[in-house]
Amino acid sequence: MAQSITELTQGMPVEIGKIDRELKRLWAEGAGAATRASLINFAVYCEGAATMQESTEVISEITREHACRAILIGIDPDTTHAPVQAWILAHCHLSRAGAKQVCCEQITFLLGNDGLPLIPNIVFSHLDSDLPLILWWRGEFPAESEDQLWTWVDRLVFDSQTWSHVPSQFALLRTTIEPASPRMALCDLNWTRSLYLRQAVAQIFDSPEYLAELAALNAVEIVHAPGARSTALLLSGWLAAQLRWTLQGADGAVVNFKDAAGAVVTVTLREEAGRALGSVRLTAGETSILVAHHEGSGFLHADIRLPGNRESHYLMPGGKDDTVSLLNDELMSGGRHKVYLKAVAALVDIL
Amino acid sequence: MTPKSTELTNPFREGLSSRPMPQPCTVVIFGATGDLTHRKLIPALYNLAADGDLPSALTVVGFARRDKTDEQFRAELGDATRKFSRQSVQDELWNSFASRVFYHRSEFGDPEGYKSLAKRLEEIDTQFGTRGNRLFYLSVAPSEFEGILKNLKDFNLNQSPSGGWTRVIVEKPFGYDLATATELNSVVAATFAEKDTFRIDHFLGKETAQNIMVLRFANGIFEPLWNHRCIDHVQITASEPLGVEGRGPYYDHSGALRDMVQNHLLQLLCLTAMEPPTDLSADSVRDEKVKVVRSIRPLHGADVAANVVRGQYAAGAINGKNVIAYREEDRVNPQSDTETFVALKVNVDNWRWAGIPFYIRVGKRLPKGGTEIAVQFRAAPPVLFNKDTGEVGANVLVIRIQPDEGISMRMQAKIPGTALRIEPVKMDFHYGTSFGKASPEAYERLLLDAMSGDATLFARRDEVEQAWKFIDEIEHAWHNSDKPPTLYPYASGSWGPKEADDLIERDGRSWRRL
Repeated sequence: MAQSITELTQGMPVEIGKIDRELKRLWAEGAGAATRASLINFAVYCEGAATMQESTEVISEITREHACRAILIGIDPDTTHAPVQAWILAHCHLSRAGAKQVCCEQITFLLGNDGLPLIPNIVFSHLDSDLPLILWWRGEFPAESEDQLWTWVDRLVFDSQTWSHVPSQFALLRTTIEPASPRMALCDLNWTRSLYLRQAVAQIFDSPEYLAELAALNAVEIVHAPGARSTALLLSGWLAAQLRWTLQGADGAVVNFKDAAGAVVTVTLREEAGRALGSVRLTAGETSILVAHHEGSGFLHADIRLPGNRESHYLMPGGKDDTVSLLNDELMSGGRHKVYLKAVAALVDIL
Repeated sequence: MTPKSTELTNPFREGLSSRPMPQPCTVVIFGATGDLTHRKLIPALYNLAADGDLPSALTVVGFARRDKTDEQFRAELGDATRKFSRQSVQDELWNSFASRVFYHRSEFGDPEGYKSLAKRLEEIDTQFGTRGNRLFYLSVAPSEFEGILKNLKDFNLNQSPSGGWTRVIVEKPFGYDLATATELNSVVAATFAEKDTFRIDHFLGKETAQNIMVLRFANGIFEPLWNHRCIDHVQITASEPLGVEGRGPYYDHSGALRDMVQNHLLQLLCLTAMEPPTDLSADSVRDEKVKVVRSIRPLHGADVAANVVRGQYAAGAINGKNVIAYREEDRVNPQSDTETFVALKVNVDNWRWAGIPFYIRVGKRLPKGGTEIAVQFRAAPPVLFNKDTGEVGANVLVIRIQPDEGISMRMQAKIPGTALRIEPVKMDFHYGTSFGKASPEAYERLLLDAMSGDATLFARRDEVEQAWKFIDEIEHAWHNSDKPPTLYPYASGSWGPKEADDLIERDGRSWRRL
């Protein structure tokens, strides 16, 4: 049975005007045994009871590695004209030294389905001052939204894999959201899903011996899970952007590019149950480089075959696909995602 | 296929890593059966592999005297890594990592051992694609350096056969005094160029030591205050409750001044006192550090007695347990006059620090363990709040190197109430609280830097020799003068001899309570 909004356990209910006072009381009660820590404001937008509950669980895990003030904003799709409700909650974990509890606070707001215009004020009035704002937008971007919200965001996290209509969402990002803030970094969790594969591929080509093969690369095969075609496409876009291939067209599971020398490069996408991205195989003549997840292994396995029957096998960190791991990876990385934008641009016509 | 150019850059690195990735290479560890290899080096390499920071084709060759097979060596390292690694060991990764670890048995002075090493390294290059890139790690006593380095040179192992690189990491102590350090440096220089020589001081690999430069030069607030106009003095402390812990023979020969001050503490002083480098390249940073060591006012003859206090721990109690005196420690000379405690007043004679003393203290069997730099600012003028009550406490910025790495700032605040009462309060930043992710071990960072050819966190020849020049004068006054300054005993568990307190108190200051 689906969980109803009223059954949520988001912490202690508070009046909106008394949130600061209640937070102070919360920390005064825990003084001595716990330390409050905060390096970022982590705001989460979501819709529906189940997603709100799951978001609280994710926030609790995230605070193990990223001390933050979390602001969870939930929309109840079944309610209109309802007063905004609020709760406060503390997530505490033992510090690395194991001697003291390190705690982060979460403020949860529940809005009716007409509450979208209230979001900027809710976020702005409850920020921990001077700390960066990371907004995780769970769901589709609204066609109309307050520009001011985006201008305050330092990092906007979203997951393009969950979008029902990818072209229109990317269009909104490019035309409305990104221009609103020159400092905002776009962080697509669908891009983060390929992080460890991209790192492994990069690591292999740190070796000058393999690097020399890149110019001869003529075929790529990417294995992806059902529902993760967009993840595989982003990986193809990355290869294309970094190797300066130009898109020629797509036909079902095959995407064709031309490399800088005008030679054809074929990228084949193959669906198979397993990790979002199961493997990538790069072929350059007799050279084959396969980077793959193996069942039961937490690592990526790189198998390299060179002419003359020379073979090498390496293990590299494999990462995880769950939401908490993706967010942790994203929050650990800094800077803007220039390379992501290049990857999207390389494939924008077929995304 | 043949490489088209050696100048190619990896296009996939864009946006993925802010630091250069090392090329495939072989790390050859001399003294591979020793403690350092088991406790630090191999766990560090394993952790780098687990984090994806190592080149895919990295091999390790352990070079030592004892008889053992590759398999035995791997098994011993596996046990040690499981015990000492920062991250839990995953069998799958360990097995993959260990499959590229080899053992090479030889006496350090036996040319045949180097001949066969050269052949083995060539085979490894062919099999694993390490391309002749070699990092030699001398984890042996300095007395072995010359023999090892001469043999490396004789068998051309100091030159890569295929246009790659060869580098050497030298563990401290970098000599016993200026003469031996110069000799040692000449021995190393006969085989490796200075740019390929990496003198490791693990203090510089610690996150907080690296953060000193970030704190000073990435924040606009501190630099304008970081000089003789605003700072009253600086205290650098390295204290530990431990005794010599089985290192009696080494320590009795060395003492606290050589063991800690010549390297670790002078390095911390340099990072605190240096001018902003022109850029972050290794030589720019090290140029600035050398300038600081050169500016340290030398201590001659009577200056030593006036500015340096040496002590030796007597029996006492640590953590409620009675402990023996230094002279009763295992394999320590019962009449030893080796210092286990030193307190110094150091003057840095340059424009920025004119007249500002740096007080350094280091000791064993002190009540509490910790390494920190405390920058004490000048007090506010006694005209307003402290007009009647005398000076209120000064602002102190403390950079904690270990344990509980972090930074704190002491400032004055009014105590709530109708009366005006001012007390010091502390703003505190703890790495462990703010960042959930554990910092890499110092050896991880330093090994990776050496593989990447980045010498910023390693001591340069002139830096080391200049530091010895300063230390030698003190050692000379202690051991070769007609009237050597007294070696003061102090009870284990105390903060050192009373004379150390006198050293700072006669300047109207006092040691910080850790």
